[in-house]
Amino acid sequence: MNKKLPDWLNPEPWLNLEFSPADIERAISADAPNEKTLAALLSPQAADYLEPMARRAQAITRRHFGRTISLYTPLYLSNFCNGGCLYCGLAADRRAKRAVLNEAQLRHEMEAIKNMHFEELVLLTGERMPEADVPYLEQCVAIAAEYIHQVVVEVFPMAEEEYRTLANAGCTGVTLYQETYDPVIYEKMHRWGDKRDFHARIDAPDRALSGGMRAIGIGALLGLADPRFDMLCVYRHAKYLLKKYWQAGVSISFPRIRPQMGGFEPDFPVDEKMLAQYIFAMRICLPETPLLLSTREPRRVRDGMAGLGISKMSIASKTTVGGYSDDAEESTEQFEISDERNIPEFCDMLRAKGLEPVFKNWDAAYREPAHYAKA
Amino acid sequence: MNDVLKIGDQELGSRLFLGTGKFSGTQAMIDAVKASGTELVTVALRRFNRDQAEDDLYGPLSQLEKVRLMPNTSGAMNAKEAVRAAVLGRELSKSPFVKLEIHPNPHHLLPDPIETYEAAIELVKQDFLVLPYIPADPVLAKRLEDIGCAAVMPLGAAIGTGKGLSTAEMIKIIIRDANVPVVVDAGLRSPSEAACALEMGCDAVLVNSAIAAAEDPAAMGAAFKTGVEAGRMARNAGLMPTSEVAVASSPLTSFLSAND
Repeated sequence: MNKKLPDWLNPEPWLNLEFSPADIERAISADAPNEKTLAALLSPQAADYLEPMARRAQAITRRHFGRTISLYTPLYLSNFCNGGCLYCGLAADRRAKRAVLNEAQLRHEMEAIKNMHFEELVLLTGERMPEADVPYLEQCVAIAAEYIHQVVVEVFPMAEEEYRTLANAGCTGVTLYQETYDPVIYEKMHRWGDKRDFHARIDAPDRALSGGMRAIGIGALLGLADPRFDMLCVYRHAKYLLKKYWQAGVSISFPRIRPQMGGFEPDFPVDEKMLAQYIFAMRICLPETPLLLSTREPRRVRDGMAGLGISKMSIASKTTVGGYSDDAEESTEQFEISDERNIPEFCDMLRAKGLEPVFKNWDAAYREPAHYAKA
Repeated sequence: MNDVLKIGDQELGSRLFLGTGKFSGTQAMIDAVKASGTELVTVALRRFNRDQAEDDLYGPLSQLEKVRLMPNTSGAMNAKEAVRAAVLGRELSKSPFVKLEIHPNPHHLLPDPIETYEAAIELVKQDFLVLPYIPADPVLAKRLEDIGCAAVMPLGAAIGTGKGLSTAEMIKIIIRDANVPVVVDAGLRSPSEAACALEMGCDAVLVNSAIAAAEDPAAMGAAFKTGVEAGRMARNAGLMPTSEVAVASSPLTSFLSAND
């Protein structure tokens, strides 16, 4: 494998800079942030500035997203997987109980999800498998789009034409985490299969957007590699996509390694304070970009971070196949959910903090593949 | 003095329009709308939710007396999508108004003048009162007026930035040349900026973030109401001209016409 990052992604020039307290204070109030700003805010020295970073992150979030938090939920269609990800409870060598939703089961799940009032859904699978390939996904997207306004997929990387097939079926977005942007660690983590192709994964967001997706979600799985390296890469990747596909929505998630079947322990653990620092830093440097936090995080962290940079959250998540209705077969979860609150509890918390939970923030009237001018 | 604002065949008593998308909840939004005295609020089709009353902005707003709704096309990437959204918005709300907004970049939300112009042609044909959200471009404003838009809504600054009347010089030219109402939309942060816009000759302002993101949105709504009224009164009262040099209150040449 080519173990070199392309120049437009490489964070090395900023990674080992030294920052004084004055540099960090300047970065917190920067009005034209760049890589150097982010590097300062990600630095260990900036850990002493969490409070002013939080204040700035909250002010920026409130200005751009108002006092609202958009909500979505994930639905696992299949946990069949031939992947060899060391950190995943569904890797091919785990003795996981496998399942895939059929059409009747999917419709039951969609009815349950619709009854919960969700209008944004992320459909998930493992790596490309005969049980859940593009024709299956196309059918699932079309069915889900009958029920709710916004359907996104978080699946394996595809060819541009395959993304176009999903976009034509009603899919509006793709979520695809690079996991880590460190090519050496990436190779170690992904022991076999298509996912070993680091560069094919880096380029997948381009193919998704070229294929007509309106939005792309990116991120790094915190804990796999030096998080400052990965956060700088995520930032540079986001900036590249924003410039090249100027009409596309780009969002960033902050998944951390969670306990899972396989018992993987991260080499670069990211604690809650570090996570908060990275989110504040990203908000300051990308003021208009939706930042997401999932139910991987404990309720205390989610409650605290809502509106402090974070503008979108999942809730009532299941990481088993199906799980919203009582119609799916039993299956192994991909990882443990930490925040298991139901929707009313979670919404009550948001409202108590002066934030409005938003279930519907898009309309199927706009549902057609995007076309971007050639960059 | 009867100082109503006419947009097409519609008359409005308040020159403050409100956006509705960023409030902390329905009650906060309603309180701010009421406190602001607005008679026209805009609501995004994407926030209409007929399936869940708690998540629906349209329902509670439609219950308000003396407040008319203006569905907007926020979320549309191009003219075709905007027209589709406008038609759907009118079906649901029965409002003749549409705030035409096409901001294909979902991050900075700046308007696309080309797609906006294309969509406006079609929406005027379909008898909408079209209020397009546009860059502060005097030529585009005239082109939109020429094809039959009921008003033009140039931006003061990018949505949510609170940078105020950054485009003031262009807005002055738009006001000078316009035969339709000019509404500054986006960028305002304070009632003094709203007052400034009205003093300059804008017919109205549209505000969302400045009120929704304030510590006390209802109080800020009331403050904007006062600011807009003050600005309009000042405009009507006739501001004294500015001058590069001091003007003595007693004429310097009075001695020339005096008798010895």
